[in-house]
Amino acid sequence: MALHRVHGLAGGAKLVTAAMPERLSASLVFMFGGGSRLEDERHAGVSHFIEHLFFKGTRRRPTSKEIADAIEGVGGFINASTDKELTAYWTRVPAEHVELGLDVLIDIVSNSKLAPADVERERSVILEELRMYQDQPQDLVQNLFEEIMWPDHPLGRDIAGTQQSVARLTRDDILEYADEHYRLPNLVIGAAGAFGEGEILEAVRGRLALAAEPDGQPIAMPPEPLRDPRVLMRRRKTEQAHICLGVRAFSYLHPDRYVLDLLNTVLGEGMSSRLFLNIRERLGLAYDVHSFTQKHRDTGLLGVYLGVDPKQAVGAVNAVVAELQNLCDHDLADEELVRAKEFTKGRLRLELESTNGVSFWLAYQELLIGSIKTIEEEVALVDAITAEDVRRVATDVLRAPIQMAVIGPFAKDLPFRTAVGA
Amino acid sequence: MPGDRAAAVRIRKAIALVNAVADGAGDEDLTPTEIAEAIRDCLELREIEQGSNVRKYLGEALDATSDGMPADFVAMTLYAALGALGESWSED
Repeated sequence: MALHRVHGLAGGAKLVTAAMPERLSASLVFMFGGGSRLEDERHAGVSHFIEHLFFKGTRRRPTSKEIADAIEGVGGFINASTDKELTAYWTRVPAEHVELGLDVLIDIVSNSKLAPADVERERSVILEELRMYQDQPQDLVQNLFEEIMWPDHPLGRDIAGTQQSVARLTRDDILEYADEHYRLPNLVIGAAGAFGEGEILEAVRGRLALAAEPDGQPIAMPPEPLRDPRVLMRRRKTEQAHICLGVRAFSYLHPDRYVLDLLNTVLGEGMSSRLFLNIRERLGLAYDVHSFTQKHRDTGLLGVYLGVDPKQAVGAVNAVVAELQNLCDHDLADEELVRAKEFTKGRLRLELESTNGVSFWLAYQELLIGSIKTIEEEVALVDAITAEDVRRVATDVLRAPIQMAVIGPFAKDLPFRTAVGA
Repeated sequence: MPGDRAAAVRIRKAIALVNAVADGAGDEDLTPTEIAEAIRDCLELREIEQGSNVRKYLGEALDATSDGMPADFVAMTLYAALGALGESWSED
């Protein structure tokens, strides 16, 4: 990967560049600190609503078609995503059109019309999006899992909000929120690809028409600790049971976050992981079984998803719990440790093969962590992990009370509660 | 052989009864009382103490049968008991 450079911009924004002259593309991401974690219950979903609205038209490009045409007219891609602690707008274009890409992104984040008619149209779209998730148990169980992992906290709410909150949001709410959070000190621009650094700096300087004062709103309070295991069940006539279970884990600032990621790899990433080999291949209990992590500023989670025959649901949960216990009870074999390290390093390199991957990686680190590790530094941290480290972190993390969300045709949750000691 | 253990055999027998009801292909005379008896047979064995939660799952399955819970639900709880005993799922 090319060396990166961090440039301070007027007003407190930052630009992180990585020149990759051998590529044919350039990728840009405008990443704003914020996201759904900053929302109170009444405004739940406003960050996601704004992200949608920014594509509806600007003063220079008054319709969504004109925004899409500008980028797709040169074969590029443009999109955005809202997360719990950030919102990102990105484009990937042929390298010779990098200035166009910048122009469009600057336009949508600083000149969007947020027209009343667009607000109403988009409200209907988002309400349909929320209804769609209700019919997708794989998504719904993930939302329930986050709800039980962070109860009564913004991290536990759906990023898109609720039917009630989205229906209630007014245009004034949206304008006020955008004005408060779309500010220069909250912005990191990531740029990677075949361009001259001076060219990008020149194209950005003085063109970001956003407020320079910090918004002054601290990120929401840390969530309360979880004392006991719990089960949250929704009875649905599904053919499969959909289950997410897991424990609170580390934030993205925690020194052991790399060890946790390696533990996650061993447990449930890919077809050579323990969960896949034991729960699916050996016991034949699940079609999809994998583990995952989520990391936030002051908390995180390690979770397992499984889609199983309802009759085997509790048995499968017991088998997963046994795998978790096994990680605490035994050191990894050398071969498994080496395989997990190579998997992790290989995935990182593949992720950073694209200009898009590099721009996101750089902006994410600068915005949320405040410093950037090179790929070599990350690889060295992974290489330094020992089997004892993995067992130590497993013992630390997996002693926390298990939280579980279940969707399926179940009459009672009692057997599930027995499985996790709730 | 673990598969020869009496508790596993009895739990599998109870599962077979419940599955027959769940699939609608069982003996028409099969009643909740017979399923409950099959589960009680399992509870009588000391061997069930060898696995964590085996007795608890069997108790829950018995309660579910008495409460008229769906057969699939009873079967799931019995499968959990079988798994907790360290038995495989595939021998039922």
